[in-house]
Amino acid sequence: MKRLAAMKDKGSKAFVAYIMAGDGGLDKLRSQVETLQRSGVTAIEIGIPFSDPVADGPVIEEAGNRALKNGVTLDKVLLEMKSWDFEVKIPLVIMTYLNPVICYGAERFAESCKEAGVSAVIIPDLPFEHQRLVSPYLKAAGIMLIQLVTLTTTENRLRDILQEAEGFVYAVTVTGITGVRDEFTEEVKAFMKTVRAKSPVPVYAGFGISKLEHVDLLRDDVDGLIVGSAIVKAFHEGEFSGIQPLIHAVTQTYPV
Amino acid sequence: MTRVKICGLQEVEHVTALDGADAAGFVFAPSRRRISIEKAARLAAELPEGIEKIGVFVNSGLEEILEAVEKVPLTMVQLHGDESDELIRGIPVKTIQAFSIRKLEDVEKLNRSIADFVLVDAPGTRFRGGSGKTFDWSLLAEAAVDPGRLIVAGGLDAGNVRSAIDALGPYMVDVSSGVETDGKKDSHKIQEFISLVKDDSMQNMKETKVEAGFFGRFGGQFVPETLMKAVKELEAAYAEAKEDPEFQKTYHDYLKEYVGREQPLTFAARLTEAWGGPKVYLKREDLNHTGAHKINNAIGQALLAIRMGKRKIVAETGAGQHGVATATICALLDLDCVIFMGEEDIRRQQLNVFRMKLLGAKVESVTKGSATLKDAVNEALRYWVANVEDTHYLIGSALGPHPFPTMVRDFQSVIGKETRTQILEKEGRLPDVILACVGGGSNAIGMFHPFITDESVRLIGVEAAGEGVDTDRHAATLTKGSEGVLHGSYMKLLQDENGQVQEAHSISAGLDYPGVGPEHVHLEDIGRIEYKAVTDEEALASVIGMSRLEGIIPALESAHAIAEAEKTAAGMGRDEILVICVSGRGDKDMAIYADRLEGLA
Repeated sequence: MKRLAAMKDKGSKAFVAYIMAGDGGLDKLRSQVETLQRSGVTAIEIGIPFSDPVADGPVIEEAGNRALKNGVTLDKVLLEMKSWDFEVKIPLVIMTYLNPVICYGAERFAESCKEAGVSAVIIPDLPFEHQRLVSPYLKAAGIMLIQLVTLTTTENRLRDILQEAEGFVYAVTVTGITGVRDEFTEEVKAFMKTVRAKSPVPVYAGFGISKLEHVDLLRDDVDGLIVGSAIVKAFHEGEFSGIQPLIHAVTQTYPV
Repeated sequence: MTRVKICGLQEVEHVTALDGADAAGFVFAPSRRRISIEKAARLAAELPEGIEKIGVFVNSGLEEILEAVEKVPLTMVQLHGDESDELIRGIPVKTIQAFSIRKLEDVEKLNRSIADFVLVDAPGTRFRGGSGKTFDWSLLAEAAVDPGRLIVAGGLDAGNVRSAIDALGPYMVDVSSGVETDGKKDSHKIQEFISLVKDDSMQNMKETKVEAGFFGRFGGQFVPETLMKAVKELEAAYAEAKEDPEFQKTYHDYLKEYVGREQPLTFAARLTEAWGGPKVYLKREDLNHTGAHKINNAIGQALLAIRMGKRKIVAETGAGQHGVATATICALLDLDCVIFMGEEDIRRQQLNVFRMKLLGAKVESVTKGSATLKDAVNEALRYWVANVEDTHYLIGSALGPHPFPTMVRDFQSVIGKETRTQILEKEGRLPDVILACVGGGSNAIGMFHPFITDESVRLIGVEAAGEGVDTDRHAATLTKGSEGVLHGSYMKLLQDENGQVQEAHSISAGLDYPGVGPEHVHLEDIGRIEYKAVTDEEALASVIGMSRLEGIIPALESAHAIAEAEKTAAGMGRDEILVICVSGRGDKDMAIYADRLEGLA
C-alpha cells in the first residue's frame, strides 16, 4: 500500500480492479488475480458475495448471486487466498458487506485477512460512526480500513472521515441528481478536487466507471480510478481483452 | 438515583434481603411492627455494610431517642409526631420529619421543617395504578418542595413506585406494607421493589433509545455513506418536528378527520364466552381508512417529508397495506409516489396493487431473491441512494436505520395510547395481557410502547411460524434468528452460518420478512416482551373463529395474534383482561381465504 502514496507523489495514476470472488467458481479467483496483475493494475478489490448487496448495481449483484450458488463464503475466499503460492506484488483489498464479517467475528476476520495476505478492507455499509466495531481488530492485524466519501458527504463529515483515512480514499462518483452528463461531470470533478485537496492519502474515484471517456473526464482530478462492473462483466463473458485499453488509459505515464 | 428505604423490619431473614437498599427502618412507636431497642441492635448487626439505620418514633422523649441512637446504633431518626424544633435540634444524627399531606397548608408546614429531610405520607391514598384514589401531587409542586430533601411514603409497591419516582424525583422512597404478604415482610417482594427502583434497565425501558439510535446494543445507522446525509437530516428534522406542537396538531388532525380515529376498543363478548377465560377486547385498527394501522405512520412521515421540502416518496410494501397507505396519503397531499413490491407479493395481494395504481402510485415489481418484502426493501433502498436529494424513503415498519425505528414507533404509538385510556375507562385498570403480530413489528411496538413500564401488563408479540419453526419455511426471527445487520440496523435475522440472509416464509405477506425491528430485539433481550410463533394453519383457523363469532374478518397478519391469544386465554381466569391488536381487516386476503378455507370458493 505504500506504493500508492509513492505513485501519487510521482503523479502517476492508479487503476484498481474489482472482481467478485467465486463468480464462475472459486477456482477461477487465482487466475483472475494473476491476469489482472499481469495487465498492470495497481491493486485488486476482491468482492465477497452477499445476499442483500444494497450498494451494488445489477451486474455485481448477479455475479454475487452466481457466486453464492457456487457455495462461496467469506471463509472459503480467505482460505483460498491463504493457499496461494504465486507472488502477489500488488495490494489485495477485500470488499464485503458488514453482516458476513459480524457472523465470522470481527477479530477472526482481521486475523484471517492477515494470513490471507490482505492489505485493506472496504465495508460499504459500515459508516464512519460505527467503525469501532471492526477497526480496532484491523489495526491490531495491520490491515487498513478504506474510507468512502460521496457527493452527499457534508463538509464537516468529510474532514472527520479524511482524518482517519489510510491507504486510499474511495470517492463515490454517483450522485442523486440525474441529468446531462456534462453537468454531472462538472459536479463530480469539483467534488474530486475538493476531496483531493483535503485528503492525506490518494483519492480514487469509483462507481459507474466503465468507458474510456469516463477516464478522460476524471483522470486529471483524481489519483486513481476503480473499475468494477465492467471487469466483472468481462470475466463473466470471457472477454477480458476489452478491459486492457481501459487499464492503459489510466496507468500510462503520459496522459493522452 | 433514587434511594430505597425498607421500613418496619422485624426479622433477620428480611434484614439480609436488603442487598441494594439504602436504608433500613426500625419502628419504636406503638405499631404492629414495633420492636425493642435490643432487637433493633441485633438486626442492625446483620445489615449489609453502608446501609442507613433509621429509627422511627412518634412523640417519644429525647432521652429515649438518644438511647436508641447510641445502642442500635442509629444513623438517622425519623419523627412522626408533633415533635418540637427544640427536640429535633437535640438529636445528634440526621433527622427526617414526616407530614401527612391533605391540603396546601400541610405542605407549607412541611416546608418550614428544620429537619434534614421531609417525609410525605399520604394516608388512605395510593399512587396512580393503585386503588384509584390519587394523591394530589400538584400540592407539592405548588409549594415548591425541594426534591433533594423529599422522601415519599404511603401506599408504595412494585406496581406504582416508578410512577411515584417519575412524578416527583424524590431523594428516597419509603416502603413498608408494599413489600409484605399477609402482614409479614416478604424477602422476594423486598428484592423486587429494590430492583425496580435501582435497575437501570427500567430507565432504559421507558425510553429505550439510549444514544445515536440504539436500543440497548441494537439499531444504529448501517447504511452506505451516500445515505448518511439523508438519515442525519431526517434525524434532525424529526427531532424538531416531534417537539413542534403545530406539527403534532396537523398530524393528529389528519388522524381524526381523515383516518377516522380514535378507533374503538371493542369488547368481544362471544369470543370471551367461547374461550371461557379472560375478558377479550379488540383494538380496532381494521377500521382505519385504508384498512390497517399502516396509515398512522404514512401520514406522519409524509408530513415530515413535506416539512423537509421533499415531494417525492419511495416506499416498500409486503402485503400492500403500507403501499396503499402511502399511495393514499401521496394522493391526498399531491406527492410523487413509487412503491416497490415483490413479484410474489404482487401475486398474492393483487387487490392492493390495483388500489395503489388507482391512487396514482407507480408500482415497481421486484423479481430478485424471494421476490417478497426483503427484496422490495433492497430495491427501495437502491432507489433512495440514487434519488436521495429530493426523495423521502417512507419505511413502513419499525425497521431501518435510525431514526426510522423510533419515528415509526412514535407514529404508531397512538394505538397503545388510545388503548390505555380506553381500558382504564371501561375496566378501571390496565389489562393483564396484550398481544400483537410482529413482522417488522410496527403495530406491535405502537401497541406495546405505552405499556412498557407497566410491569403488570404481559406483552406478547406473535411471529409467523409459517409451515413450522422447525422447518426452513417460517418467518419467526425472534424465535429462531440470530444477531446481524440488515437494511441499516443491527437486529435479529434469519441467516445461515456465513451471514447470508435467508428467505422468510409466511402465508401472510405482511409478516414475510427475515428481520425484526431493533427495539423488539432489545425488549426481548431484557425480557420485557415475550415472542411466540403461530403457523399458517393456526392463523387461518382463527380467521374463521373471529369472523363467525365477532363478525370481524381479520387480516392474515392480525390472525396470528388472535390464534396466540386463544392459547394464552386458556391459561387465564375470568377476572382477567386480554387485549388483541387487530392490526388490519381481511379484505385484501379474500383470495387466499377463498383458496384455503373450505366451503368458500
